[in-house]
Amino acid sequence: MIRYTLITLFLVLAAFVLQQFLPAFTGLHNARILLVQLVFLCAAVTVGTPTMLLLAYVCGFLWDAQCGLGPAGGDPEIYSQPVESLRFGYSVLLFGGMGYLMQGIQPLFREGKWQFSALLTGIAVFLYLSAEYALITFVRGEFILTRATVLQVLITSLLTMLFSPLVFWLLFTISNLCQHTIRFDGIKRKKRYH
Amino acid sequence: MKPLNLIALLLFLGGAVWALTRLDPAVRDIQATYYSAISPFLKSGSALETRARAYLNEVHHSKELEVQLQEVEGRMGRLELIEERFRNLERENSQLRHALKFEEATSFDVVAARITRRQPTTWWQTVEIDRGGLAKIGPQLPVLSNEGLVGKVDLVRDDRSSVILLTDEKCQVSAKVEGSPEVGILSGQRGKFEGTPMLRLRFLSKDAVLRQGQRVFTTGRGGLFPPNILLGTIESVDKGSLDSEASVRPAVNFADLGTVFVVLTADD
Repeated sequence: MIRYTLITLFLVLAAFVLQQFLPAFTGLHNARILLVQLVFLCAAVTVGTPTMLLLAYVCGFLWDAQCGLGPAGGDPEIYSQPVESLRFGYSVLLFGGMGYLMQGIQPLFREGKWQFSALLTGIAVFLYLSAEYALITFVRGEFILTRATVLQVLITSLLTMLFSPLVFWLLFTISNLCQHTIRFDGIKRKKRYH
Repeated sequence: MKPLNLIALLLFLGGAVWALTRLDPAVRDIQATYYSAISPFLKSGSALETRARAYLNEVHHSKELEVQLQEVEGRMGRLELIEERFRNLERENSQLRHALKFEEATSFDVVAARITRRQPTTWWQTVEIDRGGLAKIGPQLPVLSNEGLVGKVDLVRDDRSSVILLTDEKCQVSAKVEGSPEVGILSGQRGKFEGTPMLRLRFLSKDAVLRQGQRVFTTGRGGLFPPNILLGTIESVDKGSLDSEASVRPAVNFADLGTVFVVLTADD
């Protein structure tokens, strides 16, 4: 259990490094594969609540450290209406919310139906990006929702979701190597049938 | 809820509140620590990418590159001569102004940098350049290309920096319209990054008389950007009841940025 938790934590950190080398697809409305969110969401459904919250905190904290913008600067008399940024730490709450969402279908996952979790990964990424954009709109004012933004969110969610079976396969392999069971009921049912 | 889960949730919320209450300097320290921790991976990744690209270029275009190199060397020599002459003239001009007790004119030095990554984040219009604190680059310094203003430096590390582009909503520039008394604040637009991203010039006077094609320059006010740097041209004007807003086509082609110049010192 501890070994599996540590390896998941390491996977998340590795995802942060790899994310740096994943460019936005300019031809696809600047969509990108959100590897950090993907690894977190897939791991969240395989662990207990305390571990999920630990992963959510690490991911949110580091994500904001990676993506946060600095203060606007300049003379406040000239730039009297500076454009606000999102506060450092908001991602911690977003990751926590997404983690709880994934844990909501943990019973299905434990029955061996990982396909539902894979589908929910896409939905969670969509909700995450929508919430992020809604927060930007709330902080900066003016509701601006362009077709490009909607497509960017949709394609990013879809692209990220497509890679979830690969991450689940990786997590299953790791859990087998660590002799840690993440699909109790599915295994029990299989044993009952044979 | 199980007691362990409740304790974990309370600790999580406590940690989130702690993070949310960090002030800007503390956040900058956290960001600096984070980037210094992943810097070895970034460096080796960039080196690998550069090597791979160089290898491909060498294989496919070695002769073309040789011709280009000779051409560039020739141009560089010519530009060095021009720069030398420019520096002499600047010095002479400064001496004459000093002798005549004129106010010192704007002077600045630049550092050339190459764009290494585009849009590393989801929502912000930023790029990463291969020069940082070691090249005397600091936060908020203006970044130019030969076409006009590109943006300003945001986060600085030792050997790289991130630049927030003019097309981002957060990059605000005090601007004036050529041949008119109109001044306003120019910035990018949220979610408008398809094709040529248009800029917004806000807070113009209610009865602003502007025509398409008029050029927009920096005013030099506000302490961020030197004056008279080209920003773009007026595309259309939208008159409101209290003020007017113009749509500006940027002078810089942001889709084709290769080398940029960071202005190190700018005196208004």
